[in-house]
Amino acid sequence: MLQVRDGEVQMLGVLFDRYQAPLFNFYTKMTQDRTVSEDLVQEVFLRILRYRQTYRPGTTFRTWMYQIARNTRIDQVRKVRSESPLVAEPLAPTHPSDDAERQQEAQLLQRALMQLPEDKREILVLSRFQELKYEEIARLLGCETGAVKVRVHRALQQLREVYLGLENNPAAQAQDPRRATTDSVPPTRRVQ
Amino acid sequence: MSKMNCQQIEELLPDYLQGALAPARAAEVEQHSEHCTSCAQDIVMWKQLATLPQEKPSTESRERFEAMLHSYVATSPTTAPTHSNARIPQHADAKPAWNFLEWLRSPFGAVAWSAALILFGLLIGTNLRNRTSSEHPDEIASLHAEVTSMRQLVALSMLQQQSASERLQGVSWSTREDHLDPQVQLALMRTLRSDGSVDVRLAALDALSRHAAQPLVRKGVLESLPEQQSPLVQVAMIDQLTEWRDPDAAQRLLKFEQTPNLNPAVKQRAAWAIAKLQESTQ
Repeated sequence: MLQVRDGEVQMLGVLFDRYQAPLFNFYTKMTQDRTVSEDLVQEVFLRILRYRQTYRPGTTFRTWMYQIARNTRIDQVRKVRSESPLVAEPLAPTHPSDDAERQQEAQLLQRALMQLPEDKREILVLSRFQELKYEEIARLLGCETGAVKVRVHRALQQLREVYLGLENNPAAQAQDPRRATTDSVPPTRRVQ
Repeated sequence: MSKMNCQQIEELLPDYLQGALAPARAAEVEQHSEHCTSCAQDIVMWKQLATLPQEKPSTESRERFEAMLHSYVATSPTTAPTHSNARIPQHADAKPAWNFLEWLRSPFGAVAWSAALILFGLLIGTNLRNRTSSEHPDEIASLHAEVTSMRQLVALSMLQQQSASERLQGVSWSTREDHLDPQVQLALMRTLRSDGSVDVRLAALDALSRHAAQPLVRKGVLESLPEQQSPLVQVAMIDQLTEWRDPDAAQRLLKFEQTPNLNPAVKQRAAWAIAKLQESTQ
């Protein structure tokens, strides 16, 4: 990244190859929308280019990148919120080789994840899928490591409740009151 | 081993989940979870999260990135390497990192100096008006012309930016002048036809609709209707055409309505518009 910062922008390709898949997965878990996620990944790398002068040696590139990734996501949420609400379709299963039961389970889990408030979903995705250490997440969110641990645990507990609720009554997801009050993810636009 | 309660376990659980506990402590958590359903379920939930599939970005993603990088390098001369040990040679005649003239010619420079000029113009304008409102009509007129051309320049340069929000701003710049410059009109038409973002296309349509009196604008909108991919934009266009009561619109819409695989909502809107237009000509 230091080389990129000092003008060798072609080196960004190396970083792109290394981080596009984790970033893409971060966004698909957050949005459940492949198109939006790909756009977001592109936007993150454009911002890395634009703001490369603000990168300071000594900070991990990964933490810095996720900072940009979070801001990009926040901007996107703001933007989509001002657009007309069109309902997002759930992410289509992309692994047809999985057996039906596992696929159903994964879909249910993804749905439960989508019903969590944005910040809880984010902390779970970061700690579980992006495999960020609690210390890194704490730096990212600007809080104490202890607070991150507590939040991860609370998010996990809430996910468990939502998941069990869905498992017992899969049709009830749309009427879940939590969604109406705390879910800050807006419906994403699918029509292009 | 002493029995731990849930509260104590809760403090250890997050580290246990990330595998960051010493074996002895991890064993304590496991022992506790054997007879505590709540903690056990948390652990199961965590493990289950790993079953969510890993998504693979599409192959176009890398191509888009290359294109973005390329256009970024092309538009910002300051990206030339400043280190002598640059691994990838860029140009034999590498430009200095900060070239004021180059910067002025870049889109960012253009936006910056046009903003400065506009401010300057406005300041002088207000000053003149305060002192002698009709003493220097020529100067005021020339300043006005200068400001107008600056705005057009800003609009044109912003319409070509990478980011959709900047292009949106470009469209809104183009609406700051009552008179529509032919070059800006062309750029707006191009945006309406081929911009990647629905919002930008809608904004361009809105900007163009201010100049509906010009037949070229109406014709352009009418012609680009079948090329549109987004039903939202199509419906907005149909509404505009109905409002303008363009003489050719009814006939063209009749043809457009027959397009196979047309979005049902768009089709319905087109039928409504045709009825409305025919009604008005009778």
